[in-house]
Amino acid sequence: MIVAERKPMDEIIDMIAPYEKVLVLACGGCVTVCLTGGEKNAEMLATQLKLAASQADKTISADFDCITRQCEKEFFDNLTKNPDDYDAVLSIACGAGVGYMSEQYPDAVILPGMNTTFLASNVANGIWEEYCRGCGDCALAWTGGICPIAKCSKSLINGTCGGTNDGKCEVDQDMECGWLAIYERLEKRDRLDEYRKMRPLRDHRKDRGKGVRRLVLKDMIEEEPVNE
Amino acid sequence: MPEKDLTSDDVARMDSTQDLMAREWAPCRYHCPVHADVRSYIELIARGQWRAAIDVIRERLPLASVCGRICHHPCEANCRRDGVDEALAIREVKRFVSERQGAAGATVHKVDQDGPKVAIVGAGPAGLAAALELAKAGFRPTVLEKDPVAGGIPATAIPKYRLPRDVIRQDVDWICAHGVEIVTGVDIGGDKSIADLKADGFEAVIIATGRARSRMLPIPGGDNERCLPVLRFLRRTGFDEPVDIGGNVLVIGGGNVAMDAARTAVRMGAKRVRAMCLENEEEMPAFSWEREEALEEGVNFIHRRGPVEILLTGGAIHGVRTRKVTRVFDDTGAFSPQYDDADVQDVECDTVIMAIGQMPDTGFLSGSGLECDERGRMKYDPTTHRTSQEDVFACGEIVTAPGSVVEACASGQRAAKAVYLHLSGREIVIEDDIPEAIGVLPDETAQTVPQVDRNPVHLRPPEQRRKDFEAVDFNFSADAAMREARRCMNCGGGAEVLVDKCAACLTCLRVCPFDIPVVTDVARIDSALCQSCGMCIVECPANAIVARSWDVRGQNDDTAAEIRKLPKRKIVAYVCGHHSSSAAWSGELEDTIGGVVEIYMPSMGRLGSQHILHALENGASGVIVVACRIGADRYPTVTQRVRKRVSQVRDMLAEIGVSPDKVQLVEEASEGRKAMRDAMVEAAEKIDAT
Repeated sequence: MIVAERKPMDEIIDMIAPYEKVLVLACGGCVTVCLTGGEKNAEMLATQLKLAASQADKTISADFDCITRQCEKEFFDNLTKNPDDYDAVLSIACGAGVGYMSEQYPDAVILPGMNTTFLASNVANGIWEEYCRGCGDCALAWTGGICPIAKCSKSLINGTCGGTNDGKCEVDQDMECGWLAIYERLEKRDRLDEYRKMRPLRDHRKDRGKGVRRLVLKDMIEEEPVNE
Repeated sequence: MPEKDLTSDDVARMDSTQDLMAREWAPCRYHCPVHADVRSYIELIARGQWRAAIDVIRERLPLASVCGRICHHPCEANCRRDGVDEALAIREVKRFVSERQGAAGATVHKVDQDGPKVAIVGAGPAGLAAALELAKAGFRPTVLEKDPVAGGIPATAIPKYRLPRDVIRQDVDWICAHGVEIVTGVDIGGDKSIADLKADGFEAVIIATGRARSRMLPIPGGDNERCLPVLRFLRRTGFDEPVDIGGNVLVIGGGNVAMDAARTAVRMGAKRVRAMCLENEEEMPAFSWEREEALEEGVNFIHRRGPVEILLTGGAIHGVRTRKVTRVFDDTGAFSPQYDDADVQDVECDTVIMAIGQMPDTGFLSGSGLECDERGRMKYDPTTHRTSQEDVFACGEIVTAPGSVVEACASGQRAAKAVYLHLSGREIVIEDDIPEAIGVLPDETAQTVPQVDRNPVHLRPPEQRRKDFEAVDFNFSADAAMREARRCMNCGGGAEVLVDKCAACLTCLRVCPFDIPVVTDVARIDSALCQSCGMCIVECPANAIVARSWDVRGQNDDTAAEIRKLPKRKIVAYVCGHHSSSAAWSGELEDTIGGVVEIYMPSMGRLGSQHILHALENGASGVIVVACRIGADRYPTVTQRVRKRVSQVRDMLAEIGVSPDKVQLVEEASEGRKAMRDAMVEAAEKIDAT
């Protein structure tokens, strides 16, 4: 899932400072599942903003709402509050939701309440860890299922750098070396042959090198996309 | 578990999520013949809200005080707590609250009575229940009773040691307060005929005369004057009339009435009292506790013997000849006794009490035009309660199988509906459909529920109680009633998922102390298993879970209203009320802390971070969360979870420059009022210092 963390409160307060009537808008998708977004957090954040304003001898009105996903416009019909009725909308969706809402409500001020961070799995109650960087060229088939882009802090594709130290990464001594983990996994599976193969340079056009990425399913589109 | 999914739109249309209680009923309500909302009144008793509790009871059960003493309590027999440790003592809890409140302590819903006059013949449970329903519908019911008192068998034949007469009076007075007129000493069939009633302006008549005759056995000697029909014996003792009980009494019969007779004979001073029945100990129909108490009082039992002849010497009984019973029931379970005539024994006695059942006395019907069937039973249509005459109806044991008080009440209420429809010019169609009962509690869930001992009912010592007709047992104290009510598992009052909002995040599954939620496409919380702790509701990040028995939507508004009432100092204390007194729950504490409003909850499981923040938003200068010590909350893991919530809110306050000390956690709710109050005083002072 997409993980996002709420922005530091000072940043949020600065963002909404010019506005008196704010809607905190939650997304019922990934950020609800990672417990940083969702309706309950929108409810609490709205209260928090009002308390913060009161602390600064100001008065704001802050409502909250939530829709199933902010990244799909059909769900906008389920809004119980109209973004255009507010001075600003503080969205606690991932960046995709915030950006898309901004595009669809061009007259509304849609502000990001979250920093979108990574694609994660839930490894324990309350802990999400990055498992994918969305690089567009998945390598998991020959790395024993461990992503060298996500799990190696340098995103190397041809084995360890020289900074491995007792199995830890030189970037952060608390972080496991991703490539040591790949090596051990392949060794256990008797597939070190995969490790010995020289991999070609990554095609960064599949990542961010070619600009905005799109997924177009020609069987599903109702009219030819303009850019094709 | 209801098949239909619930959505936020469904809930938005409801006045309260309490409406969801109608999706399924707890087994206590489902199996109660009058479908009293047991779960609701038990919850109110758990909070010591006596008036509200008795009003819920009396909404469906007119004879609340009588049933508090003698109900056969199918609610308890079906209580799911039995799978955890032992069924809730529902009857005893009800007894406490109904007798504490009496007739004056329950609300009377009196309406203008300008409807038709209806005569009810018989002031037993069925007749009284029918009369009350008609009065509540604006009719003018008059109950005509042959005996000098109202109440029927409970007031005339049930021994006072089981049912003191002032207890019956509570119910009768409350019923009469609704505009029910009771005329005693009127013998219908003697003083007046049913035709006379119609001539007197009664537009309908309900026959509810019950089973007032004792069944007798046609055996030689059975007509001897010292072979007493059980009802005659019990009535005489009940009315304090002299009865020569003799010294050696044999009660024939193994049911509860036989137990009443035997135990009454003991109290009358008989030196030797035995009860003889066809059945063995397991087969006999009397409640096992009745048998136990009778044994303690000195009654002995003779099982598997059937009477053949009452043995007489010069007109005086000296014994009963008996034969061995080889079986009581056939292979299908039907009553079909067989005997070994070669095995004959004589049982010595000088008095016989025949307690083998009761039957309707239909003699008063002769000449009324009301028809009886070939077995002498009054003809009646059970779907409409109509007899052979269009405007004469029947209910209770005169037309049903022998049953209990509460079953007679149900029959009376149904007959009242029939009369109401008839006199409103409508077809008599009585809707009997009720919601499904929630399912059984599986063992694996029952094992996760903390065990709590059932509060015992204390009995007087047998050597004392066999000497008089004072009540054999003691009523619960208020504390015991509340403790017992707090054992209720709130079956069917638990969580439901709003499927349109659920993100399948698994949080409910992870915070549930009972491992109930299952997450597939969305979370599913089986209402048959949910223990109603509320943990998932307040933790759900999508606000996608509601509780049937607790509408979270009102909580913040209620708190805001309380805050507005406070003077300058405005501190909210959310208190776990699981160990709190009736005074605390009812807002009647005499040692409240100035500027601190105490808001009681069944468990802190239901207090979320959002509620604490909202209290501050609504003007509270601080919030004290008063939880129990770990392990003392009604539900497991609550206090640990509350610590995390309080910590979360304190962090949220710190990041907006508000002192985190505005939120204080104390864990003294389980330690008694003084310790809790001292801790709250200290916490309030810390809030004042911020």
